[in-house]
Amino acid sequence: MPRIAAGDRSALRQLYDATSAKLFAVCLRILSDREESEDVLQEVYVTIWRRADRFDAARASVMTWISTIARNRAIDRLRARGPLARSEPVETLEIADGSDSAETLLAAADDRHRLNHCLGELDKRTEMVIRTAFFEGLTYDALARRMDQPLGTVKSWIRRGLAKLKGCLEQ
Amino acid sequence: MSEAPELTETEALAAEHALGVLSGREREDADARMAHDAAFATDVETWRERFAPLLEEISLQAPPSELWTRIERQLPANDYLAAGRLRFWRGATAGSLSLAAASLAALVFFAGQGPKVVQVQAPPPPPGQLLNASLMTQSGKVQPMFVAAYDPDRQALIVTSLVPPGSDPNHVHELWLIPADGKPRALGFIEPGKAKTMPMPKTIEQLVAEGASLAVSVEAPGGSPNPNAPTGPITAVGKLAKL
Repeated sequence: MPRIAAGDRSALRQLYDATSAKLFAVCLRILSDREESEDVLQEVYVTIWRRADRFDAARASVMTWISTIARNRAIDRLRARGPLARSEPVETLEIADGSDSAETLLAAADDRHRLNHCLGELDKRTEMVIRTAFFEGLTYDALARRMDQPLGTVKSWIRRGLAKLKGCLEQ
Repeated sequence: MSEAPELTETEALAAEHALGVLSGREREDADARMAHDAAFATDVETWRERFAPLLEEISLQAPPSELWTRIERQLPANDYLAAGRLRFWRGATAGSLSLAAASLAALVFFAGQGPKVVQVQAPPPPPGQLLNASLMTQSGKVQPMFVAAYDPDRQALIVTSLVPPGSDPNHVHELWLIPADGKPRALGFIEPGKAKTMPMPKTIEQLVAEGASLAVSVEAPGGSPNPNAPTGPITAVGKLAKL
């Protein structure tokens, strides 16, 4: 990251090679549109290039930092479509598939395990709605439409779920 | 699991922002709040960290191979953009501030998405001693909140606020120079949405150099009670770079 901040393009290229497939998938999940995801991904790496000097290794891992940039940009783009973007009902909401991918082997496996454990402590409906919100970047409005529930109900599910999640993660 | 205590309104908002359920307008407000409310920004970051492990569940999807070329093309393009802005400032320093004001309307339009974030990379070093800086917030996107250019011929700093006028009537924006010695020097106030030419006294002028930082703090009317350092939060920073 310091090399990128110093203007070393080959360092940005290395980061791109190592991370673009993940960030592209993050964008694609939120936008469901390849062309838009490509545009956003382009913005993301240009942003990383310009902001690399802001990266603080003490506060976040590189992957979290750049994934957050990608998620935020993709959600901004989704919001530009309107508050109800992607609110159409679908058969199933996000469901945790119990199987672990090879990535569980990453050093962060512990954190993931803990988060999954705590999400699992929530009731099924709350877990699903929080996962869907995270992966798809949907607004409360869109989630409520999709679940065919009043906005206030969905909001209180999520807020209660977030409070429980915090309590569990801090144990 | 027993009933957890409710989150405070602030923390719930931070969690919702990190989760991504806020509407467009609420998101912008939350981003803007992160820029001046450090405790809130920390809450949001803590929640982002909490959710981050979920990202590992997303399987990889390779982008098309030509995308890197597009990105690389974009990098020098940004440098040219900065150079273009400089030419604009040269015009302004030559005395055509009315022209500057007209161009400002366009810039404010771009800045309308809220204060955003990035430090502009020092572009390739062509001739000239003019320095410029884009002052960005800590949180997210690429539009500057303030832009500044130093004209050594006039020994003046021209600073433009891209903050929408009237956005926070209870505070003032105070500009600071932080030179190599790390000690902030107060330069004056910048009204939201206005451009201002600030003549630099000799003692300060020596410190205005490439690599020195400019920062803007949010202060109560009258400015920081401490003349040697900001009292309120820093809302934007940027480094002076040669163009």
